[in-house]
Amino acid sequence: MIYKTGICNFCGTGCGHLMKVGEGTVKGVFASPGHPVGAGRLCVRGWHIHELLATRERITRAQVRKDGALRDVPLDEAIALAADRLAAFPPEAVAFRASPRASNEDNYLLGKLARAVFGTNNIDLASDAGHGHTVDVLLESGGLPAALASVADIREAGSLLVLGIDITRQNPILGSELHKAARRGARLVTLSSRRTQIAKLSGTHLQNRPGSMRIVLAAMAKVLLEEGLVDRASTGERTAGFDGFARALDGLDMGRLAGLTGLDLEAVRSTARALAGPEAAVAVFASGISGLDRETIAMAHNLFLLAGKAGRKGSGLLAATGISNIAGSWDMGATPRFLPGYFKAGDAAAADRFGRLWSAGLNGKPGRTVEELLSSSPAALKALVVAEHDEGLIRHAEALAALDLVVFVGAYDNPFTRFAHIVLPAATYAEADGTYTNTERRIQLNRKKVEPGPDILPAWRIWTAIAAKRGVAWPAKTASDVMKEIAAAVPAYSAVTYEKLEKGFGLQWPCDEGHPKGCPHPGELPGRLSFAAVSDRFTAPAPTDEYPFLLTAGTDNTFWHTNVIMKKTHIPRREYNALLLLYPQGLVEISAEDAARIGVRDKRPVKVVSASGSMQVAAKVSTDVRPGTAYVPYFIGDMITGFLDAHGSLLEGGEESVVPVRIEKV
Amino acid sequence: MHILPKADLRRLTGALAERHALYGPVRHEVSGEVIFDLAAGPSEIDLDIPIPYNPPKGVVFPQAERIMSFSCDRASKAVTVEPAPLAAPKALVGLRPCDLNGLLCLDRFMLGQEYVDEVFLEHRKKMFIVSNTCVHPFPQCFCACTDSGPAAVEGFDLDLTDIGGEYLVLTGSAKGGELVRGLGLAEAPAAKAALRAKAVEASVALFDAQAKDNKAWISRAVNRITTGFIPHEVWEYIGDQCFECGACAFVCPSCSCFNIEDFKEGEGRSARERAWDSCSFEGYARMAGDHNPRKAVEDRRNKRFFCKLSFSQSRKYLRPGCVGCGRCVRVCPGDIGLPNVVTAIRRETTKQVPHE
Repeated sequence: MIYKTGICNFCGTGCGHLMKVGEGTVKGVFASPGHPVGAGRLCVRGWHIHELLATRERITRAQVRKDGALRDVPLDEAIALAADRLAAFPPEAVAFRASPRASNEDNYLLGKLARAVFGTNNIDLASDAGHGHTVDVLLESGGLPAALASVADIREAGSLLVLGIDITRQNPILGSELHKAARRGARLVTLSSRRTQIAKLSGTHLQNRPGSMRIVLAAMAKVLLEEGLVDRASTGERTAGFDGFARALDGLDMGRLAGLTGLDLEAVRSTARALAGPEAAVAVFASGISGLDRETIAMAHNLFLLAGKAGRKGSGLLAATGISNIAGSWDMGATPRFLPGYFKAGDAAAADRFGRLWSAGLNGKPGRTVEELLSSSPAALKALVVAEHDEGLIRHAEALAALDLVVFVGAYDNPFTRFAHIVLPAATYAEADGTYTNTERRIQLNRKKVEPGPDILPAWRIWTAIAAKRGVAWPAKTASDVMKEIAAAVPAYSAVTYEKLEKGFGLQWPCDEGHPKGCPHPGELPGRLSFAAVSDRFTAPAPTDEYPFLLTAGTDNTFWHTNVIMKKTHIPRREYNALLLLYPQGLVEISAEDAARIGVRDKRPVKVVSASGSMQVAAKVSTDVRPGTAYVPYFIGDMITGFLDAHGSLLEGGEESVVPVRIEKV
Repeated sequence: MHILPKADLRRLTGALAERHALYGPVRHEVSGEVIFDLAAGPSEIDLDIPIPYNPPKGVVFPQAERIMSFSCDRASKAVTVEPAPLAAPKALVGLRPCDLNGLLCLDRFMLGQEYVDEVFLEHRKKMFIVSNTCVHPFPQCFCACTDSGPAAVEGFDLDLTDIGGEYLVLTGSAKGGELVRGLGLAEAPAAKAALRAKAVEASVALFDAQAKDNKAWISRAVNRITTGFIPHEVWEYIGDQCFECGACAFVCPSCSCFNIEDFKEGEGRSARERAWDSCSFEGYARMAGDHNPRKAVEDRRNKRFFCKLSFSQSRKYLRPGCVGCGRCVRVCPGDIGLPNVVTAIRRETTKQVPHE
């Protein structure tokens, strides 16, 4: 048999696949029909993952920079050098950046390396800003810091709400579930400023003005209150914080709704009424690089709690993770704020617990993110370890170039190595055993399919080897051993074993003594949920005479997060190039009305001007944006990233971020 | 016709395995699903299990494959082209009639026209095919609508029909006959030989009750697709549901489109690979000079169904391009497997809507 089961490593949906292997290499991939999430489907990325895995553009030798150039050295020498040099800096001047594509085993041991060996909580994850907001809101409200709904719940729900996310591009198979549910009769409503494919497939599309989603959700909550449609249990003993939430909603003047959001009050009312019905409801939003801001997620959570749809079987928010193991990486503590299992970094009891587990004294101070450290002045960072970087850090090129030490650990050729002093070759995920936790808390085992090259190690072995050079011998000899450590450290993973994982299609955490087979419906877990604190100010970005457009940024199918990864494929890369060839200077999507007003046709150059920068791109005239709205796909990094980076703070809010601009004919 | 006791199937597969790489339907150890795969041994192939999730076309037309290598010596300007290594002979056992028809479509595309694809020919010419009559349909099947089952008509070396406890063996080629003689199979008496037609009849009669997932009365759709009289809104309705994943082409037994890439392998050395491609992709439809006659997704979708159902394309395949296996329905993230598209076209064209 040449087809071996595995898990797709692109987005957080975690579809199962059958990988074709032969002659020591990956030769193809097919959808796995029995898999509970993918159920025999893959997206364009998933159907071409073998192209990435078989790429010749690999890092195969350890390298050290000598006289300005990276030169091949024996692996052991490079590892020893990395360990020695990292140890020479004070802990607060060292930072580690984990990859959201790496396995739980990789990222658990990277966190252990940072904290127990180098004494710092400076560890973070690429592309995760939005997921931190999701975790915060859900932890604060007493639920699990992850999706409370499962993919299977979409199949049963009567009411489905898509919040912003261009889901048929970002998590296509989740999009497929939503579409199929709608075809079976579920009520599918999309709330998004752009007419996405899922918006076209929805019974109702509420096309709000960019940046006003939070207000629309607040208005829906207010409709429930005004019309007495509130779930009684939600405002009673089972929950906390209702009064505060109700007071915050007092600040919303429903008469101003149309002006703030561009939506008709009646459409919002009927959506709210439908949501309050007896059927199960699931809301899906993006959690990751292009996720929602904290306030919007908090409002969505409160709305669901008010409607009796949080903490109920088959209902809840489904935070769609954009990259394969964002969720698991947070579970493993790849963040300055949390140790594995969401124990707070900086909390004395937590430091004590992990100090005993790891036989080390831990730094009691929470860490800082790599971006914070790189942008701080005077420079706070001296040494940085980066695993499989995409393009997020490039905007700090100057600060990176000024670092004393950059260690890069990765499987694929990466332009980031121009900053590196030491490069260590890592196995691809097809060359190592490992587990990945998908968007619905499903921990899935992906077995090694092919042997890595002679100098190539799985990342967790590299972290183990660096620790060993510092005189710390870690016991784990296999990935399964690492999972045993994780089970001891992370309560929600305490009953997870490789033996269980390989007999099926994963375990949804919490998987513990009470739930040895995992827990598909954490909504049933006992516990008191609370309303998240929300602001009582309801303002939205509004166009002005000087900047009459509200500009937003988003993703696409073939080129969604990591240029570095997708450029190693053939067909997805070609598809991306097809768009680039049409708009070689980059593009801004505007409505036909606005194009006529500006006096440009499709593909003609325009200048986009904001208060802090400008760029020249081509106009893409489209029916998918409303007049007054402009959209750029941020992935066209080569052209647009510079402009967007100048608005980094404005865009931190993810999908709901808005840059006011004017657009001029050139 | 000859008789092969079911318990002796292993003798047949064993004999084939002596000189061929043996492929057939096997049950996957973890997912429990049926995959058409390289068999671990002659007894792994199971002819009673359902139609495999993947089509067998990957055996003759792999998802990704090196088709040649070439090198160039700059100093002497000598160019060497090395063809792909010779393929090992393969035996495909238990091919369902729909999949055999898909293979015949591939033959007619790759070999039957003005150009002969040598790489495909290399895979194909050493092949031994044993087809398997579907004595009952599976839920997704609609071969009765596309004239591609439940029994094979041509293209096999041997054809098996399960008549309960034993197979009727129909010989389709000289090398098939040789194997029958080699195994010493008994001649089927006339009464038994007549059971093949009866089994086919019985199977067709079961479609209404058992093949419930899909129906595709294609003749009306063939007419409309060939003449182009389909309102554009129908294609938009279909295009809106296309996620542009390519899966329908990858799982289709008769889809033959491919992409070519060259890779540098070292100084002066390159390899050329080809890989499955799909008409759903924008980059696939783009011409040199950036012109794209099928820019909109619905225009690309209409290309697929033209390929599967138009009369002009059927003339090349000598049958409709769709073989009724139902795989495109199962893999589609939208809801636009071929039967649904046929339904959408029929619904529109029977509504008597005036169209432009």
